[in-house]
Amino acid sequence: MDLVANNLSYKPDDQYHLNEVSFNFKEGNLYTILGRTLSGKTTLLKTIAGLLTPDSGEIEFDGKNFLKIPVWERNVAMVYQQFINYPHLNVFENIAFPLKQRKIDKSIIKEKVMDALKSVGLLGYENRKIQELSGGQQQRVSLARSLVKNAKILLLDEPLVNLDYKLREQLREEFKNLFSKGLADETILIYSTTDPRETMELNGEVIVLDEGKVLQVGPAKEIFENPNSLKVAEISNDPPMNIIEAKISDNQIRFEGIDVEAPQHLSKLTEDGLKIGLRSSDIELNENGHEFEVELAEISGSETLLHLKRGDTKIIVSIEEVLNFKIHDKVKINFKIDRAYAFHADGKLASSPFGGLNG
Amino acid sequence: MNFKHKYFFLFPGLFVLIGILIFPIIFVVRLSLSGWNSYNPGLDYIGLENYIRLFTDDPRFWESFFRLSFLSVTTVILQYVIGFALAHMVWKDIKFKRFFRVLFLVPMMTTPVIMTVIWRTFFHESLGPVNDLLSVFGVAPKWLTDPVIAKFTVIIVEVWQWTPFMFLLLLAGLLSLPKEPFLAAAIDGASPVRKFIYVTFPLMAPISIGAIIIRLIEASKIMDTVYVLTSGGPGTSTETSSFYIFIKGLREFQMGYAASMSFTYLIIMIISLTIIAKVLTKVLLKE
Repeated sequence: MDLVANNLSYKPDDQYHLNEVSFNFKEGNLYTILGRTLSGKTTLLKTIAGLLTPDSGEIEFDGKNFLKIPVWERNVAMVYQQFINYPHLNVFENIAFPLKQRKIDKSIIKEKVMDALKSVGLLGYENRKIQELSGGQQQRVSLARSLVKNAKILLLDEPLVNLDYKLREQLREEFKNLFSKGLADETILIYSTTDPRETMELNGEVIVLDEGKVLQVGPAKEIFENPNSLKVAEISNDPPMNIIEAKISDNQIRFEGIDVEAPQHLSKLTEDGLKIGLRSSDIELNENGHEFEVELAEISGSETLLHLKRGDTKIIVSIEEVLNFKIHDKVKINFKIDRAYAFHADGKLASSPFGGLNG
Repeated sequence: MNFKHKYFFLFPGLFVLIGILIFPIIFVVRLSLSGWNSYNPGLDYIGLENYIRLFTDDPRFWESFFRLSFLSVTTVILQYVIGFALAHMVWKDIKFKRFFRVLFLVPMMTTPVIMTVIWRTFFHESLGPVNDLLSVFGVAPKWLTDPVIAKFTVIIVEVWQWTPFMFLLLLAGLLSLPKEPFLAAAIDGASPVRKFIYVTFPLMAPISIGAIIIRLIEASKIMDTVYVLTSGGPGTSTETSSFYIFIKGLREFQMGYAASMSFTYLIIMIISLTIIAKVLTKVLLKE
């Protein structure tokens, strides 16, 4: 049973929330929608769920026109970024709610709810009130509620974004386990996120969305290795990929008075307006490197993010240790230039180290 | 904090409280133990004689009390159901939402006594427009002079007058509900009807209890509608407690006896409203 969309558009004001979005989702697969905030992820999920009607376009599921089927008959489940539950019901009743909407025997409901509670690690909490739970637990309840009904389409709208760092890591692990257990071979799982790392870890088919438009579709690895444009490279990297305006001539990449020998995959690109893309992790501190000035140094977890500047060029370097820098300190860095990308002036990928569009 | 003059600053408030609440209640109790009437005005002491008379020799008071219970419970239930339906209707995005919200409040903005006079004219048996219309079908109910129908006329007028108040409270309640559970319910497969039963109604329970209790207290004072519409008639068939107490106390000037009725009525109301509030909380909030 496939979920197919054709040219979905939704434009409630003067901005597109969805702009000619098409896809073909197959059962038993995990799809990740990657995009920044306000890129249309939630709109897309709501449209699939039936909470929004697009201005134009079609959605078909199992060969039937999905738009004609009201929300409550669509057999979808959704987990929201806010932890949405029923405040007047306890944990058990919350999870049982979708089952009670169909005429299912009480003993079966109990069994299924208990199973769901077990799979999200909340056994023993069934009589608690929702307000007595922590954010992470509330989100588990709403996850359990979405699992219990065995929906054909499971939508997860940035389910981890409002949780603190530790819980996020933990729940992400649990998600991976749940998904890999083959939740159900017939389920279409759609997971939206702003976090490229989450996308890579979940390792499904990725749809990159920006301003309501699909920019690229492909396996997570492919998106990571060969982003088809500057935008995708920015969206699919955190911190965003560094973009340096440079010129390539005589086998040298030149910018801000620095000359770096061009790797083979870039050497033939001599056009004007070329942009070199380099991930923050592909730049390292090196005594013999080029001098940059520190604009800002942030420590995040066990990493240090250095915002550096030289002339008009600003770059971000991530270093896998905690280091203390002061603003205006001078540091020396080296570029792992063989991992550099090149983009044309119009933003399209010109060449990637992984073989996309070589030359 | 020990401040020498604190009683001085508390005094104005306490004085008002004593003057308008505590003194009148104590005075009514004292009055109920006296035989004050128009022949013998004065605070003499006759013991529990008034109460004995009330409990053993005055079926009219108890009839009026049960009639009041019937009228107030019926009107409040109707007001709740209709008020909820109207509030629910203009809660959603419909056309002319603002217009309807104001329209439904109009009855509350009118003067009850004047509106009742107009209703009396409406329901006039030979001259009123209601029977004029109904005469097309060959019927002419005695809206104001049939002992049974007259009760329903009182109910109609009360419901018309006070449903807007219920509407206002319930609409405020609906507008304050979180939106998220409704999104969840739709996704979870609840049709609009089930969504109402399992989400809207339970979420509205605390507000509903408040609104019902407020209206019950108000409704148990039904007086002006009865006074203008039927004057308690025909016979005593629409007479309510407050109207009967009014007749005894302010028409026949049996002040002592009216005081004993008032005090008894107050005690019964406090007890029964407490019980009703408890029961409603138990049923609607499952606590």
